[in-house]
Amino acid sequence: MHSTLVRVQNVFGFFTTVAFSVAAVIALSTFIHPQTPKATVGLRNVQVVRGRPHYYSYKREEYAHIKFDLDTDLSTLFNWNTKQVFLYLKAVYPSTKAGEPDSEAIIWDAILPGAAAPWHQNHYIHPTPKGTKKPKNSKASPARSHMPAGIVKLDNQRPKYQITDISGKLQNRTDVRLELGWNVQPWVGALLWENWQDYGMWKGLQGGKSELFNFPEIGAKSAKKEKLDVEKGKEGHRLMAGQEQPRKNN
Amino acid sequence: MADQLLDQVRDAVEGQIDFEGQRWAELITNVLLGAVGIFAFFIGFMAQDITLTLWIGLAGTVVTFLAVVPPWPFYNKNPEGWLPPHVATSGIQNIDVDGQKVG
Repeated sequence: MHSTLVRVQNVFGFFTTVAFSVAAVIALSTFIHPQTPKATVGLRNVQVVRGRPHYYSYKREEYAHIKFDLDTDLSTLFNWNTKQVFLYLKAVYPSTKAGEPDSEAIIWDAILPGAAAPWHQNHYIHPTPKGTKKPKNSKASPARSHMPAGIVKLDNQRPKYQITDISGKLQNRTDVRLELGWNVQPWVGALLWENWQDYGMWKGLQGGKSELFNFPEIGAKSAKKEKLDVEKGKEGHRLMAGQEQPRKNN
Repeated sequence: MADQLLDQVRDAVEGQIDFEGQRWAELITNVLLGAVGIFAFFIGFMAQDITLTLWIGLAGTVVTFLAVVPPWPFYNKNPEGWLPPHVATSGIQNIDVDGQKVG
């Protein structure tokens, strides 16, 4: 510590040690924050249609369009170390060959920001429930969800993604269920997935799975025919199945 | 004149402190930074606001740098003196080389 340079090196060296230790304690502190996630997932309507992966493709595949209800209370996932929660709903169905694991495909997702996260255009903005008045000066208020963090109540929600199978065949597949999943992304510490079991003060997810249903036949009468619109997120340009249009030259 | 100026600049940049000062500098670094880390964590945990922890931690680190890095007069209160000079005419006495007195 005899000269300025040595003192700078010593102080900075010990600063890194302290910063790392505090970060480790912060990561561990989330374990004493109780978690009681709850979710109800229900199927509204499912249709299977024939389509192609993009405009110029000759390949014909079958796409499932699933409308759903979702009611979640994940507010306990948000503690002081939560940056954001990536919430997703997936359709899970058995594979064609026995012994192979189930196929999973995400039909809807959302990025739920924590309290300290700065605004970002990709954050999920919860649709305004019917009957509530919109604020008049909507321009002045920043585009933030007016629902508390982790509360999602969706009725007859369109999917964000139409799904297909690796085989290209989806009609008449049985024992499909919708399942909720998430990633908790902390400020410091490990990325966490949804858990179904209790770990100490962290309870497993209550509900979060729908009843079993089947993918109907293409053009089946039992399935209500509805517009096959998909929900567009705030992610800007995405390639959608069958929706890419050729560029016009003029 | 230029040499004197250069010497002053070099002393200011090197910022040497005495042995007692070095002991203090080490102690102050450890105590201050450690306390800041603990304090920042608890304040942030109470307020459930991780940005508070971040800013308190960084502010405390800046304070530590300011307290320890410059050669404050406090760190130079016990300067080590030179040995008393020998008078050149008295010669060098009692030098022992392999048991034989020389000089």
